[in-house]
Amino acid sequence: MAHFETEYQRLEASYSDSPPGEENLLMHVPEGSKSQWHHIENLDLFFQRVYNLHQKNGFTCMLLGEIFELVQLLFVVGFTVFLANCVDYDVLFANKFVNHTDSSKVTLPDAILPMDVCSAHIRENTFVIFLLIISGVFWLHRLVKFLYNVCCYWEIRSFYINALKMTMSELPYVTWQEVQARIIEIQKEHQICIHKKELTELDIYHRILRFKNYMVAMVNKSLLPVRFRLPALGDSVFYTRGLKYNFELIFFWGPGSLFENEWSLKPEYKRGGNRLELADRLASRILWIGIANLLLCPVILVWQILYAFFSYTEAASKYMNCFLSPLLTVVAKNVAFFAGSLLAVLIALTIYDEDVLAVEHVLSSITLLGVCITVCRSFIPDKHMVFCPEQLLRVILAHIHYMPDHWQGNAHRYETRDQFSQLFQYKAVFILEELLSPVVTPIILIFCLRRKSLEIIDFFRNFTVEVVGVGDTCSFAQMDVRQHGHPAWMSEGKTEASIYQQAEDGKTELSLMHFAITNPHWQPPRETTHFISQLKERVHREAAGASSDTHPLSLSESEPRSLVANILAGPSTLASVHFACDSSLTNSGVPEMPGGAAALRSLSPISGSLQLRGSLSAAHRASGFTGRTMTGSGTDARTVSSGSSAWEGQLTSLVLSEYASTEMSIHALYMHELHKQQSRGDLSRHTWHRQESDESSDSIPDEVRSEPNARSRHVPRSHTFPTTLTSPGAGSASAASGQSSSQRRHSGPAADPFGAGAAKVVRTPLVPMGGWAEEGKASSRHQEPLQEETSEDELPPHTQKVIIIIIIIKVWQKSAVSFFFKLCCLFDAFVLFLSRFRLHKPYEEVLSQSTHPHPSPYLHFGSSSSSPRRENRSVPQGLSELL
Amino acid sequence: MNCRSEVLEVTVEARQVEEAMLALLHTILLHRSTGKFHYKKEGTYSIGTVGTQDIDCDFIDFTFVRVSSEELDRVIRKAVSEFKDALSSDGMGQISLEFYQKKKSRWPFSDECIPWEVWSIKVNMVNLANEQERQICREKVGEKLGDKVINVVEVINRHEYLPKMPTQSEVDNVFDTSLKDVQPYLYKITYQITDSLGTSVSTTMRRLIKDTLAL
Repeated sequence: MAHFETEYQRLEASYSDSPPGEENLLMHVPEGSKSQWHHIENLDLFFQRVYNLHQKNGFTCMLLGEIFELVQLLFVVGFTVFLANCVDYDVLFANKFVNHTDSSKVTLPDAILPMDVCSAHIRENTFVIFLLIISGVFWLHRLVKFLYNVCCYWEIRSFYINALKMTMSELPYVTWQEVQARIIEIQKEHQICIHKKELTELDIYHRILRFKNYMVAMVNKSLLPVRFRLPALGDSVFYTRGLKYNFELIFFWGPGSLFENEWSLKPEYKRGGNRLELADRLASRILWIGIANLLLCPVILVWQILYAFFSYTEAASKYMNCFLSPLLTVVAKNVAFFAGSLLAVLIALTIYDEDVLAVEHVLSSITLLGVCITVCRSFIPDKHMVFCPEQLLRVILAHIHYMPDHWQGNAHRYETRDQFSQLFQYKAVFILEELLSPVVTPIILIFCLRRKSLEIIDFFRNFTVEVVGVGDTCSFAQMDVRQHGHPAWMSEGKTEASIYQQAEDGKTELSLMHFAITNPHWQPPRETTHFISQLKERVHREAAGASSDTHPLSLSESEPRSLVANILAGPSTLASVHFACDSSLTNSGVPEMPGGAAALRSLSPISGSLQLRGSLSAAHRASGFTGRTMTGSGTDARTVSSGSSAWEGQLTSLVLSEYASTEMSIHALYMHELHKQQSRGDLSRHTWHRQESDESSDSIPDEVRSEPNARSRHVPRSHTFPTTLTSPGAGSASAASGQSSSQRRHSGPAADPFGAGAAKVVRTPLVPMGGWAEEGKASSRHQEPLQEETSEDELPPHTQKVIIIIIIIKVWQKSAVSFFFKLCCLFDAFVLFLSRFRLHKPYEEVLSQSTHPHPSPYLHFGSSSSSPRRENRSVPQGLSELL
Repeated sequence: MNCRSEVLEVTVEARQVEEAMLALLHTILLHRSTGKFHYKKEGTYSIGTVGTQDIDCDFIDFTFVRVSSEELDRVIRKAVSEFKDALSSDGMGQISLEFYQKKKSRWPFSDECIPWEVWSIKVNMVNLANEQERQICREKVGEKLGDKVINVVEVINRHEYLPKMPTQSEVDNVFDTSLKDVQPYLYKITYQITDSLGTSVSTTMRRLIKDTLAL
């Protein structure tokens, strides 16, 4: 190789570069890496941890929680083994005589077998040994995990303290949005992400929820086999932890998975060329993983039992409560009464003289009576609870922002109940499913998932986009209305998506709305901004139309602080709460009301009566005492809140976040409402009727409702294109929603985009206690809106008040919870433990899981935490995506 | 993920591989090297000078500039010739130059090497039938390499993340101080012949362990 020396040569031969005049040298000052947070290697993991630490209320809380879990597991396993092997039950039941020289009393130690006998017992029993080994491994695994976590999260802790400048003690009061804002701010200084100068909220969410977004999208597009039609049980959803783990293993990180590393899809999967070959490969991998699952089944089973023990959460039972039979209630009340009187007498006697306890069976009857009363209690619904399933569903919709079309108008039906229960399972069902999971999972993998391998390959190829600074993400998570909007969900005209590209159930639109509301600083692309502002404007306009003389219901613009101040200063908050309850039952129907406003209104009364109660009971469950303070009296809660100075400081942010969540609820309701109208296609007029409140709810003739219901259920899910939903006899027979027709009348035909059809008057005998009867799609059944008698003028203050109340309640609840957290994390662990015995809601897991960033109850694309953390416990959360 | 990655792709004849690789790697390193730092007591430092050399290629019509450091050249040459040997006659391969910085970790963990920029050069080898084609190829590859060099310079001229200048104690975390005449950012050269199938077992195991440990 030719080798030329160039002209550029050193002046000196030596390598010591210190020219003579050292003082003339250009001197540099090293910046050093003052922070260790610049350029973090795995940002996905990093953000996830930051999020987790926030959700767990700081380092200490997390540490204590984990330690307690470890101790618990040890205790449960140890105690079970002890009870099974080391107790001499003969002695305990006095079947065997114990020789005591000094006294005749049998003591507890007498019943315990000596060590050597005990260990011999255990050694003989191979099953026990098997269990012990597995739990030992499990426990060690947890221990190692715990130690590892302590190390990792210590870093995150110092990140919070040094970089974000937040102390661990204030963490429980800070919302995720604030943390996020801080992160975005420090990016400018520390450059934790090196690709861009500035991070956006969406970037952070993309990283935290990368795989989850894929899963949500795949469920949304019905790609994952999670719903099954079983011969005996009908439609059911099966999505256990084990199944989810396997899905993730196959798609995201297992050997030969589709992803090269955490942030990029393998290049061959991005090319369409050899899709068949790739699908084959995927299919065979699924087969092998299925077989491995089958072989490991017993181990997985034990593992899962242990794991289930560690992951309970609470469930939303409010709606389910509606379905308690009145007969049972009556029986339960009476049984409780008799049992209660007997118990009272016995307890009184015992207090009077302890010896009563020594009388045979007294102790056991006290116990039995106690149990009996508790059981009966659970059957007695809340006295103030009103049977108005439609309203409840609305409230839930306001929270989960999602509802399949055919639920509307059919909330009182058991089918709907059953489907709803798929979202919020009972604990027993959950446990059963988890137990079945080791056996069922391989079957699903081998027989259902394998067939879909080609579709899956196509899905990943078509819906993966590479975002600079983020890597490969699911394109649905970009929430681009143009690409994935559904014409039936307000993106008509804006969307260019084919049916294949449209997200079902308005997910894109709702997610977008949700994200924009929870992250007001986020700057979406231009068309998206347009969409959002248009929607907001519509909602505001219609709300304003409904409340023409007072301020429009523009939550974001009104002054939260003063509103809240008003309420706090006002007389009894509880009174206004009652007012809200009452109003929902007895008053206010403005027949002419715009659709959006109607949606708002249907939100408000319910929120008054039910959301209130929902949050109360949730708070009650969560903290043990918060709920009590609130039910006790309004003033109590006020003292609690004003007593805590921290609360005041947080007031603004809490209120604002409440506003955000309320606003989202309103928008969600609005969009559903609109969607309903739209999908009805051609609308007919509808007249509201006064409802006879004393009519019983059982009197709806079945044939009236079952027909439309059946029809709507037959619409294939993945092809829910709005036009297919128009009712056959739309022009004459189908009735439009009251809201839509009234909107037409209100705003004038020109302003009504949906047009109107012929009116159809159907008298409905029964809506339990009123509330908006949602008409089923194409259903001819109509129910009475209670608002009929109220004048329009009454609406605005009422609506506003209710919203303020919701906010107050939530703030209370939250502040009380925070206060509580401040008091002791230990108690939390205790309550958590207790709460295991309540209903279980695993489907928050569905596309998420309690230990993960799915902050949001409804799991939109790209939404991590929708609302401040505590919120999650108070609202029904769930796998809304599944349906 | 938190690292820029740039991909260059070249198609060359077998005998050109070595020179083409050297040209590209040296070009990148030229821009990613500084003179030696001389720290003063007050916490400031001065930067030494760096010499450059023009190198003419034998099999390509091309001349490139490299840092005139024999040591650096030796290291690069070694890596490139390993790559060349591993490459089969008409195979494909990829050589990557990764710049990273070290991050000291607490006791139970070893120091992390965090890449901040990765240059991947994909090589397609072709066999040419006759001398005439070779001649054309010789010119073509020269032009291509010229484009690539411009490309590299453009990327480097963008104002993007670079590790901050370290203090004396940290200099080893950012720069390779083992050479006596030049001080490049810490770098690593790796190569890969054909796309290896799937995630390697070790990555999977690591991921598996990490996943089970994750909260």
